[in-house]
Amino acid sequence: MTLRCVVVTPECTELDREAEYVSLPMFDGELGVMSGRSPLIGRLGFGTIRLQTAAGPERYYVDGGFAHVEGDVINVLTGRSTPIDLIDRDKAHADLDVALAMPGSTPEESQIRDTAVQRARGQLRASS
Amino acid sequence: MANARALDKRRKSIRNIRKITRTMELIATARYKKAMDRAAAVTAYTDRLSQIVNSLADAGTEVRHPLLEQRKNPKAARLLTLSSNRGLCGGYNASVLRATMPHIGELKSAVSNVLVDVSGKRGINGLKFRGIDPNDMYQQFEDQPGYDEVEVIASKYLELYVTGQMDRLDVVFTKFISTSRQQVTIETLLPFGSLDEGADKHAQETNTQYEFQPSAESILEEVVPTSFKAKLFKCFLDSAVSEQVARMIAMKGATESAGDMIKQLSMTYNRARQSQITGEIMEIIGGVEALEG
Repeated sequence: MTLRCVVVTPECTELDREAEYVSLPMFDGELGVMSGRSPLIGRLGFGTIRLQTAAGPERYYVDGGFAHVEGDVINVLTGRSTPIDLIDRDKAHADLDVALAMPGSTPEESQIRDTAVQRARGQLRASS
Repeated sequence: MANARALDKRRKSIRNIRKITRTMELIATARYKKAMDRAAAVTAYTDRLSQIVNSLADAGTEVRHPLLEQRKNPKAARLLTLSSNRGLCGGYNASVLRATMPHIGELKSAVSNVLVDVSGKRGINGLKFRGIDPNDMYQQFEDQPGYDEVEVIASKYLELYVTGQMDRLDVVFTKFISTSRQQVTIETLLPFGSLDEGADKHAQETNTQYEFQPSAESILEEVVPTSFKAKLFKCFLDSAVSEQVARMIAMKGATESAGDMIKQLSMTYNRARQSQITGEIMEIIGGVEALEG
């Protein structure tokens, strides 16, 4: 039994693959999905989707979004999805420095800063 | 009667112009098809997003979010006008500016601080000509606006709204309804109107009990800004598609008019040539008769 994993961004359908196992980077930790999983809607964090396909493992970085699992189909809605090899580690380092220097005096500002920091850290983790 | 040579020269130049407008029409057609494909992709994304919103509503989650709440006594408003960088697209930019100007007046009468942001050179120049100094200007959007670029703008607006520096955001853009109909629309994107737009078609099919990770509230917290970004991106895409359609139609009209002018000029040219020949024959006959007499 295989799963179908569809990654959709606002620009196009980035990925439509059959896989035996998919690991999703949820907001609060990783979640493994295999065939027969009960329906789920989840919030994604900044991290890596790992797919175990017949051709071997595949890894993609996703920039937050949502996962919708129903009947052996995983729909991932995200703003950006990139294969791990294409992530620029130096840029991620620079982004982290910029994010850490952002102001955080009010709750709103600190929330914006936290999101930027999480995004940069997610990219760094994915590229390592 | 006009000079035959001058007429011929004019006819040649119109032929060249017709070649250019015909090529521009073909280019606009190709770009329009590409832009349409992108618009279809964002529809697939927003459809899935509204499916998630529906599931949340079905599970009994109370749909409340700071971005959805109307603010009392708004102090600062922003207006984003989407126009094109290039001209030769008929009344596309003119109609956007025609809708923008009265709306700026309305906003200024209701809100004390109104800033105008513009995308597209034509809009920037048009507003400057009308005495309005745009605050932020974007010229990077061509026929295929990228989500990354739009997201930067959307995040900036969200930041301004959340931190209280802006209480309202309106967007003036050309909505693509069909190939034969595009309409200038003014939409208030912040505060965000409703989440379940276009979601009714899924209403019957959602009977499944979902598990929400980490919680329905946390998902809702993220759904609203994501929907806003997708909607703003859709506005940019709609504008891009409408621009290409407008250019396609304008260039088609120009090509046809050039064809008509060439026909008209050919007729005048032939008449001028004929009368010139007739005149020359008459002169020869006159000369021969004079010699014989």
